[in-house]
Amino acid sequence: MNISDFLTVPFLQNAVIGGVLIAVLLSVLSLFVFVKKWSFINIGISHAAFGGLAIGFFLGINPTLIGSIFAISIGLLIGYISKKGQIHEDISIGILLSFSMALGVVVMSFSNNYNSDLFAFLFGNILTITYQDIIIISSFSIISIAFIFYNLEKLMYCCFDEELANISGINTNFLYYATITIIAVATVLSIKLVGSILSSAMIILPAATASQIFWRYKSIILTSVIISVFTVLLGIYVSFEYNLPSGSTIVIIYSLIFFTAVIFKRVFLG
Amino acid sequence: MIKIENLYVEINGNLILEDVSFEVKKGEIVAVVGPNGGGKTTLVKVILGFVQPTKGKVLIEGKNPKDYVKSGKVGYLPQKSSYDRDFPVSVFDVVMFGLINTSLPYKEKEKKVLEYLNYVGMQQYKDYSFGKLSGGQQQRVMIARAIISQPELLILDEPSTGIDVVAQENFYEFIKKINKEKGITVIMVTHDIGAIGSFVNKVVGLNRRLHYLGDFKEFLQKEALDKLYGSEVKLLIHSPECFTCQHFNIEVKKH
Repeated sequence: MNISDFLTVPFLQNAVIGGVLIAVLLSVLSLFVFVKKWSFINIGISHAAFGGLAIGFFLGINPTLIGSIFAISIGLLIGYISKKGQIHEDISIGILLSFSMALGVVVMSFSNNYNSDLFAFLFGNILTITYQDIIIISSFSIISIAFIFYNLEKLMYCCFDEELANISGINTNFLYYATITIIAVATVLSIKLVGSILSSAMIILPAATASQIFWRYKSIILTSVIISVFTVLLGIYVSFEYNLPSGSTIVIIYSLIFFTAVIFKRVFLG
Repeated sequence: MIKIENLYVEINGNLILEDVSFEVKKGEIVAVVGPNGGGKTTLVKVILGFVQPTKGKVLIEGKNPKDYVKSGKVGYLPQKSSYDRDFPVSVFDVVMFGLINTSLPYKEKEKKVLEYLNYVGMQQYKDYSFGKLSGGQQQRVMIARAIISQPELLILDEPSTGIDVVAQENFYEFIKKINKEKGITVIMVTHDIGAIGSFVNKVVGLNRRLHYLGDFKEFLQKEALDKLYGSEVKLLIHSPECFTCQHFNIEVKKH
């Protein structure tokens, strides 16, 4: 199959558009995950969504909706516990992740059937992205990215030193919780499409890779987006061409680019 | 400018500040000194509106601290020995943060940032990574960030932490200069009693309670120091010029 065939197959078109949208959104968010050292936030929220999904399936209410509400609530709770308890977000994530996973497993144990939909949701499949998914993701991505770029300097100031940003008149609490909410929703939307493992890679690796070559945040954010879009496109093509699992192929390419950047930094940048 | 009346602060059942009262006049440089855990940083946090008094009153220009801080008239240099070395901002970006809530066009902001970097002698480092600078260089950049919005009040919490003696001297010279040239009121929390003596207008000796309020010369009286530090204090005077008040380099040792 050549590139033009690749782009004319309808389900591949959806995979490409949806994958690129998610890649752009998560790579923009990856800057904040990188500077705040929130490597586990995405994993925490995706596991929180698991608890919500299980409850949704059990009660027969839209699992995505319940999963999203759960993920946002857990995301905000992570922020609240970290701020009020003055502990690092990763500690709060560890606590809430275990709670939510345990809750999901207990709720599932009440159900007699093995719920394959629940696991499909957790592991995702980029090749099953629908037109409706694309509409939801594109709307959310446009709003979120516009918000982030409008507030980019303020967000970076908050990440640099929240107290100083506060004294400069920035509503640091609003920006903090808004960022966590955007990450929570982006996580829920992305795990449905690409699974929680790929979603984590997509929010951690872009900025971690870009920061090996560039050190200013504007360069990092731009490079992260380019790396992510390239990786997703290449990953979908390779997985389809060689009949490989798409999510895993994309994660492997992300990782290879990251290690290449690390070696490049060592060899050429010292 | 600042009026503190019968201030009490209790945190988690511990009384941190007890019945503290003093005033700071416009254009003064005030040093807040005292032993570790004496409530110096808490006092700063009260003045910045981050900590609410349990009892008593703090007014800045007649306003409560939170409202005054919101007006953008406060520059603050926190107690921090070093920033994350990998934080992806340049020296230019950090000073630009200080203008974040001003409505100037970008070109004007850029010009101002360069002007203030020049003022602190750091213009040639504008495109350097902030995290890779030395402690003293970071302090200069942070000062430029703190004063670029032309605050009326500058609060410095342990500004000499993590910087060498030469850089400290340069730093204090610089504080004198901005106080004189820009008329900024300065409140400085410090352990560096010796280095500040030649230019502070007032010393606030704090060890939960206000143990000393007055000028630096009197503060050096042994009784005042003993009272403040809670035990006998021995002054080690390193510099012979000390008594001419040109340059103090005094180490406070507790027995």
